[in-house]
Amino acid sequence: MNETSATDIRPLVLVEGLRKSFGSHEVLKGIDLSVQRGEIVAIIGPSGSGKSTLLRCVNQLETHTAGTVTVAGVTIGPDSASHDRELQKLRRNVGMVFQSFNLFPHLNVLRNVSIAQQRVLGRSQAEADERSMQLLTRVGLADKAKQYPARCSGGQQQRIAIARALALDPQIMLFDEPTSALDPELGLEVLAVMRELAEGGMTMIVVTHEMHFAEDVSNRVLIMADGEIIEQGPSREVMQKPQTERARQFLSAVRDR
Amino acid sequence: MSEILGLWLEWLPRLLGGLWLGCKVAGLSLILGIPLGLVLALTVQAKSTVLRAATLVVVEIGRGTPALVLLQLAYFGLPSAGLTLSAMAASVLALAVCAAAYTSEIIRGGLEAVAAGQKEAADALGMSRLDKLRFIVLPQGLAVALPPLLGFSITILQGTSLCFAITLPELISQAYAIGASTFRYLPALVLASLLYAAICIPASMLVGVLERRLGAHHRA
Ligand SMILES: Nc1ncnc2c1ncn2[C@@H]1O[C@H](COP(=O)(O)OP(=O)(O)O)[C@@H](O)[C@H]1O
Ligand SMILES: [Mg+2]
Repeated sequence: MNETSATDIRPLVLVEGLRKSFGSHEVLKGIDLSVQRGEIVAIIGPSGSGKSTLLRCVNQLETHTAGTVTVAGVTIGPDSASHDRELQKLRRNVGMVFQSFNLFPHLNVLRNVSIAQQRVLGRSQAEADERSMQLLTRVGLADKAKQYPARCSGGQQQRIAIARALALDPQIMLFDEPTSALDPELGLEVLAVMRELAEGGMTMIVVTHEMHFAEDVSNRVLIMADGEIIEQGPSREVMQKPQTERARQFLSAVRDR
Repeated sequence: MSEILGLWLEWLPRLLGGLWLGCKVAGLSLILGIPLGLVLALTVQAKSTVLRAATLVVVEIGRGTPALVLLQLAYFGLPSAGLTLSAMAASVLALAVCAAAYTSEIIRGGLEAVAAGQKEAADALGMSRLDKLRFIVLPQGLAVALPPLLGFSITILQGTSLCFAITLPELISQAYAIGASTFRYLPALVLASLLYAAICIPASMLVGVLERRLGAHHRA
C-alpha cells in the first residue's frame, strides 16, 4: 500500500517549478524544493514573500498554477482537477500546524485529537482515545483532555494542535509560524515540543520568525523574497554568511528588531 | 371589569383549544420546514449550477410570496390541481414552505459564520467533505443559527393566526367566532392577544438569554 519505506532514497517532498497566482498577482514564481526524510527545513523571509502559500501548496490547501507537488509518492499537478480521493491520500501523510491553532471549539481536547483518527484512519474510539492520551501526555497536557480549547492558553492550544496532527502518524509536519500568535514564554513551550519532535527524527518544514530555531534546530534554511527562494543552504552557513545582498539585508533587519 | 373577567373565564377553554391547534400547526410546519431549510442551505452552495439555480428559485418564491397567499394557494388553489387538503394540512404545507425558505437563509448565514480556518484544519487532517460538514461545519454553524431559528419559530407561531383565512379553527378564528356570537369582539380579541403574548414574550426572552450564552461561548 505504502509506496515509500524508511530506506527510500527518493525525497519525501519534491516541489518542481511551482507557480501560484492569485488572479494576476503571481505569488510563487517557480519554486524548486526537495526535502529528504528526517530533514528539518526552516523557511524565513519578509512578510508577503509567499512562505505560507508555499507551505499550503505542499498539502494543497491552495491549488497551484504550474508545476508539480509530490509527497510520499503522491503527485499533484497544477490547478488540480485532482479528485478528492487523491488529495486525501496526499494529506494523510502530511500534518499541518497553523499560526492560529484552529482547534475545533465545539469539541473537547480529547475529541479534537481523536476525531480524524476515527474518521480518516478508521480507528475505533477506544484506539483513537488511547493514542490521543499518549500524545497529549507527550506534549504535557494529559490533564486537559476533558477541557474545551477555549479554556486553554494559546501555548497549550498550539501543543494540542501539534498532538492532533501527529495523531494521524504523518510522514512530514508543516508548521506555519506556530509561535507568532503567542507571548514569548508560551512560544517557548511550543518550541520545546518542536525540538523534541525534531530529535525524534520527524521530517519538518517550518515557516518561522524564530531565528534561533532556524539556526539551531533546522538542518537547512531557505530565505524567500517576492515569491522566490533567494538563498538556501545548511543553517549555520545561511544564517552567518549569507551570500546575497538581499539575504544579508533581511537577516540584519530581523536581528536589529 | 369583573364582568369581563367572567366572560374571559368562560371563553378561556375554547381559546386555549385554538391556541393549542396553532401550536400544533406551527410545530408540524417547523418539523417539516427546518430540515428542508437545511437541505436548501446546502444545495445553494452545491457545485452543480442547476442545483444552485433550482434552490434559489425555491427560496425566492418561498420568501417572496406572502404567507397568506401561500395558505390560499394550498387550500383554494391546489384542489384545481387535483389535490384537496384539509384546512389543517393546507396550513402545515403552506407554513412549512415558508419556514423552509426563511430558515434556509438563517442556516446558510450560520454555516458561513464558521471560520475558514476550521475548514482548513479539517482539510489538512484529510477529512472527507461529508465528514467535514457533519463533524466540523454543521455543529458550529447550527449553534450560530439556533437563536435566530428559535426567533423565527415564534414568528411562525404568530403566523398561524393567518390560517384564520382558510377556516382553520385556531386562536383568532375562535376569538372572532366568539365575537360574532356575543358581539363582544374587543374583549375576545384582547384575550386572544394576551394568550399569544403569554407564550411569545417569555420565549423571546429565552432566546435572548441563549443568544448571550452562545455568544460568550464563542468569544472565549
Ligand atoms: N487567498 C489569497 N488571495 C489573494 N492573495 C493572497 C491570498 N493569500 C495570499 N495572498 C498574497 O500572496 C502573497 C504571499 O502571501 P503569503 O504566502 O501569506 O506570504 P507570507 O506567508 O510570506 O507572509 C501576499 O502578497 C498575499 O497578499
Ligand atoms: Mg505567512
